[in-house]
Amino acid sequence: MSTNKRKLLNSYHVVFLAQSSMFGTGILTLPQRLSSLGYSEAFFPLLLGIIASLTLWPMIWIMSKYPNENLFRINELLLGKWIGKSMNMLFIFQFTLFLAAIISNYMQLIQTTALPEQSTTIPVLLLILLLIYIVNGGIKSVARFCMMAFFLTIPLLYFLRWAIEKGDVSHIFPLFNYNLKEMVEAIRKGYLSILGYELILFYYPYILNQKKAFKHALLGVWISIILCLITTFVSVMYYSEWQLKNVEFTVLQLFKAGELTFIERIDIIGMTMWVFLVLSTMAAYLWSAKKGLDSIRSKKNKLHIYIIAAVVFLIIILPYSHEIREKLFEVSYYAGYLLIVWPIFLSIVHLLRKKKVQQ
Amino acid sequence: MKVKFIPIVFTFCLTMLAGCTAKELKIPLEDIGMVGVMAFDYLDEEQSQITVAIPQYDPQAKEHTQIFSVSSDLISKGIVEIETLSDKKIVLNQLRVVLVNEQFALHGDVQNAIKQLYRNAEVGNKVLIAVVKESAGDMLKGEYPDKPSVIFYLNDLLQPSINTAFNPNTNIHDFMYTQTNPVFDSIVPFLETKDGKIEIDGIALFKGEVMHKRLSTNEGLIIQALQGRKKLAPLNIELKKEKLLIDLIDSKVKIKSNKNLEEPKLNIELKMSGTLIEFRGERENNLKSVDEIAELEKDVNEKVKQDISKFLEELKKIEVDPIGLTENFRMHYKGNWDKALTNETISKLEWDIQVDTSILSTGILR
Repeated sequence: MSTNKRKLLNSYHVVFLAQSSMFGTGILTLPQRLSSLGYSEAFFPLLLGIIASLTLWPMIWIMSKYPNENLFRINELLLGKWIGKSMNMLFIFQFTLFLAAIISNYMQLIQTTALPEQSTTIPVLLLILLLIYIVNGGIKSVARFCMMAFFLTIPLLYFLRWAIEKGDVSHIFPLFNYNLKEMVEAIRKGYLSILGYELILFYYPYILNQKKAFKHALLGVWISIILCLITTFVSVMYYSEWQLKNVEFTVLQLFKAGELTFIERIDIIGMTMWVFLVLSTMAAYLWSAKKGLDSIRSKKNKLHIYIIAAVVFLIIILPYSHEIREKLFEVSYYAGYLLIVWPIFLSIVHLLRKKKVQQ
Repeated sequence: MKVKFIPIVFTFCLTMLAGCTAKELKIPLEDIGMVGVMAFDYLDEEQSQITVAIPQYDPQAKEHTQIFSVSSDLISKGIVEIETLSDKKIVLNQLRVVLVNEQFALHGDVQNAIKQLYRNAEVGNKVLIAVVKESAGDMLKGEYPDKPSVIFYLNDLLQPSINTAFNPNTNIHDFMYTQTNPVFDSIVPFLETKDGKIEIDGIALFKGEVMHKRLSTNEGLIIQALQGRKKLAPLNIELKKEKLLIDLIDSKVKIKSNKNLEEPKLNIELKMSGTLIEFRGERENNLKSVDEIAELEKDVNEKVKQDISKFLEELKKIEVDPIGLTENFRMHYKGNWDKALTNETISKLEWDIQVDTSILSTGILR
């Protein structure tokens, strides 16, 4: 079987892994997160994309120095066993929380719109089982699922048609109508939506053509950014500023603008198709978390997937207050930013300790 | 081998334990009452009367529509109260029309009522809104023997159609959009019962959150034309001694502002093309050559220009902008645009209108 080989990922696998791991539930709330900018948010994803490209570069650079190791190993190599392992613990913890946050967000969406009078225990369980099934196949199966998810969900763009027809392009003017404070606020809240490309830190050793990995990952990132751009642009055309701020799940409301005689609520189609995007994002995270557990316990074991999945399930199901849960998820989001700047820190350490490590 | 068993046991336990949750009450489809029309009537500042119409599919029932009416201060509370009256579970998934009576529009909080529906994910975006003269509840209770049910009647009536193109077809999203966008004031079709028939008689113009006045159908048509609607209702024009009707095929509007908030000025270019379908008056038998038709076009242009000017003059006086004309100024304004700026701009607005009508044919008769 191909899983025995070390190098598994073709160039197109890399493109779609980078693309799909970014494009999860974040996009659903992106227009709302950026709403401090008002109508000027239309072109803002471009700026986020530039930041993403700039931070992608040190990631690839540090990985190219250790072509056969993932970030967990590099942490241990560069920072020593104990600091490295405790950093790794932190990352695994963050991934687990992040997974729980994604699932509970998505389930909240399902509950408020599609299943208003049912508890979500069973759907959560099914979702996690499906997730385990995908991740069990290794990174290649995750990558293949990402590709499938992309091509299955891209036709949803068609549903934006009505919103474009009804919307008003003049909303995007005047360009750059915001101040610094609003911009910082928007970056702080909105950058969450495009997290996910940093996972290349973990699947880099599996890439066949590592020299071109930067190019391919960048392509994936920009496919996502362009989709984000379309979303914010259409939202700006269709909504008033008040609505951008206050309507939850703005994107699904865009689908609702549609009028098909045989379907009352197109948003339900959009929402259920979204499960592919959610799964592809989560699969990449779960796989990375599993690798982390492998490296901490210094042995490979399939059980690790089940352990993480069970923890995620418990975090979602256990009946502690909604407030604590939200706080916990918030923490995991901000810890996500740490992972973005971490490679820069590692690169500096690498330059300082170059000789020692190579000995 | 042992490892393989763990997921199986895990799944088994979870599936078995899932049975321990409380049994959910599933309601069969026949026991769901899908509200088709909702009507709000003004009682006093706190209370409003909510009336709903629910289709009755039981073949043995004599009436095809069930009507329930309660008075309540909160909408959701009203719906719960209706549920106690009804033998069915009330859901809003199939809501089609929301009616608001004139009193409620003038004094009540329409925005809040609609916001509650907009908040509810069950309610689709196709729900149309209309203002009703006198009582909205009575309109639902009225008898329309030639119609299958008042729900379909109202829904069909309010749907876009070429002969009622003055109708803004305001749905929930449009209403919330125009209410919350500072450059717009909402417009909603106005219904009236006449001789046992329901008629769209003009449109209701809101100023801020409350209804301000009623506009005629012709004024509604001007709003639609200036908003850039492509298909317009037949244009009915009365010149001095002549009457004519033009079936419009296409219309295009271009609005440009001078970007100056101190002396705001708009340049409006309206291009229409259509077929002359009826003409009565002096020139009836003379419209044979191109020159004569061009002469007529000129008269029509002048008349339309006057009408638009008159209408804008009125908007200027009451400081209301249902067309979104101030959007052309907001586009070039750095900073936060608010309602006060809209009102100020519209009160100072000057305009320059060019109308260009072209009559493409006069039917198959010469």
